[in-house]
Amino acid sequence: MPNVIGETKKAFITGNEAVAWATLAAGADIMFGYPITPQNEVMHYWTRLAPKHGRGFLQTEDEISAGFTVCGAVQAGKKAFTATAGPGNVLMQEPFGMAEAMRLPLVAIIQQRGGPSSGTVIYSQQEVTLTTFGGNGEGHRIVYSTATHQEMYDYTIKAFNSAWKYRFPTFVLGDGYQAKMREPLEMYNPEEKGLEIVKPFPLVGLDGHIGDNREPQHLCNIYSMEEELYEVVLDFVKDYNAIIPEVAEYQAQQCEDAEIIILTHGVVSRAADDAVKILRSQGIKAGSFRPITLRPFPTNDLRNVIANSKAKTMLIAESAYGQLDRLVKQEIYGETIKIENLFMPGVGIIDYDIISKVKSII
Amino acid sequence: MVTHQYSDRIVEAFVGEYASGKSEMAINRAIELRKLGHKVTLVDLDTVEPFYTLRPLKELLEEQDLHIISFSTKESFGLGETGAMLNPRARWALMNEGDIILDIGYGVYGAKTLNLVEGAEESLELKVMAVFNYSRPMTNSLDKIIEYIKDLGRVDAIVANTHLGNETTLDIIIKGNNEIIKAGQELNIPIAYIAIDKVLYDEAKDYNFALPVKYIERYMPNAMW
Repeated sequence: MPNVIGETKKAFITGNEAVAWATLAAGADIMFGYPITPQNEVMHYWTRLAPKHGRGFLQTEDEISAGFTVCGAVQAGKKAFTATAGPGNVLMQEPFGMAEAMRLPLVAIIQQRGGPSSGTVIYSQQEVTLTTFGGNGEGHRIVYSTATHQEMYDYTIKAFNSAWKYRFPTFVLGDGYQAKMREPLEMYNPEEKGLEIVKPFPLVGLDGHIGDNREPQHLCNIYSMEEELYEVVLDFVKDYNAIIPEVAEYQAQQCEDAEIIILTHGVVSRAADDAVKILRSQGIKAGSFRPITLRPFPTNDLRNVIANSKAKTMLIAESAYGQLDRLVKQEIYGETIKIENLFMPGVGIIDYDIISKVKSII
Repeated sequence: MVTHQYSDRIVEAFVGEYASGKSEMAINRAIELRKLGHKVTLVDLDTVEPFYTLRPLKELLEEQDLHIISFSTKESFGLGETGAMLNPRARWALMNEGDIILDIGYGVYGAKTLNLVEGAEESLELKVMAVFNYSRPMTNSLDKIIEYIKDLGRVDAIVANTHLGNETTLDIIIKGNNEIIKAGQELNIPIAYIAIDKVLYDEAKDYNFALPVKYIERYMPNAMW
């Protein structure tokens, strides 16, 4: 891999730019995109970087086409990606579903904006359900929810590796705040950190002869009989469940002696961490849990954290009206910890919001 | 068209790379001039992202007795995502009395929106200030800065605004700004001043920058959309 970053140094950067640089560092060959706020600078930046590094870009006629062109490019063995938000994410569910059906290593960056529909151009966490379980399938996707620019960079690189290693469509779920916010970021060449970059490979046009020296590639998104589909989907389930221990990630802080666990994801977890510090300084023992992968969900880890914690209450806080809450509840069905909610759809949550809520419920 | 000329007034437009510090420089300059007793109009001329820039700070700035031409949260209610938008009051901004500070949209294309301001072309008062932060990846070498200034078009002076947010050190400021200064020398464009966050005053005050230094307040981190 060529050194695209140059000397490792800290840059002052927006989240969208961090994504564009990370895709370059991960060896992405081409981006297919259609403009939508707040992901536009991923495209703007990629189109500034790509020509200097021999990479490609195509602006398609709409998001449906952007998603399908990624599906096509990855079959040709190219590391391809797209980035979108809101209604664009809705339109891309059809190609994302194809990527699930054909086990295509598609990578998509989602910068959540307000919804429903065009909502706002600004921010939300309202694309959780859509990104994890959108489409007419079983949600066989990998979804990383990032909280900082460093994570946007790190997990964008990781997303390509996961997609090409496991062959499930992989998503980096950010939001408009992370997209536009500016903070210092250390950009690095993955090799310098000892990170292996998974090499892409073609899925069609392979050498050899079917039946003689190789098996046929079954890249299907439609079957003539329901029994065929049934077997395929059950195989997906088996493969997906097998990677959960390797792929699922979370962060838990100070949950053991906590009276209350604050569960958040993405940028809101930064407010939760600040809230934990302040609450503890005021004598209220709070802890925090944050799923980094929303799919697969770190179910066993959360169950263990609950089992090993003194907490009787868990507060789920999100910039949506219950999308994370529903996800968590289905994953930890049967747990008896009391669940409280702070739902602020489409607006930011700061430490103060969480602290006030915690004080009102304990 | 007749352009009113106020010979003693200050008219400055801040241009530059995305997130180089244009809004921050514009706000600080406007407040500085207001404190000197000038009548000041601060204009948000970001036509692409009118909801991301001065909007959240508008009321706070008006409390400091600045005349602000920008959409407020209330005014933008119901407009939705209307695409590129020019506030009519921004188009005629130069017709206002007193000093005019223009915060221009980002990048090379942003700088071109200055053409939308009536009288900008003919104005003898207008100074185009290009803001550079050496920590921004697209302007983090001497060559890149020179190339960028050439693409910007008209630039009358440069503001050296190298910083790394909360992780800024004197070393980062000095090293980065030295390259920006070299670019100015090469293109024969003066450096108007070096901008340093006032929280770093104690560290920076004894260093001889050999150029004017302005200690600025960072307002943009409070601009939660």
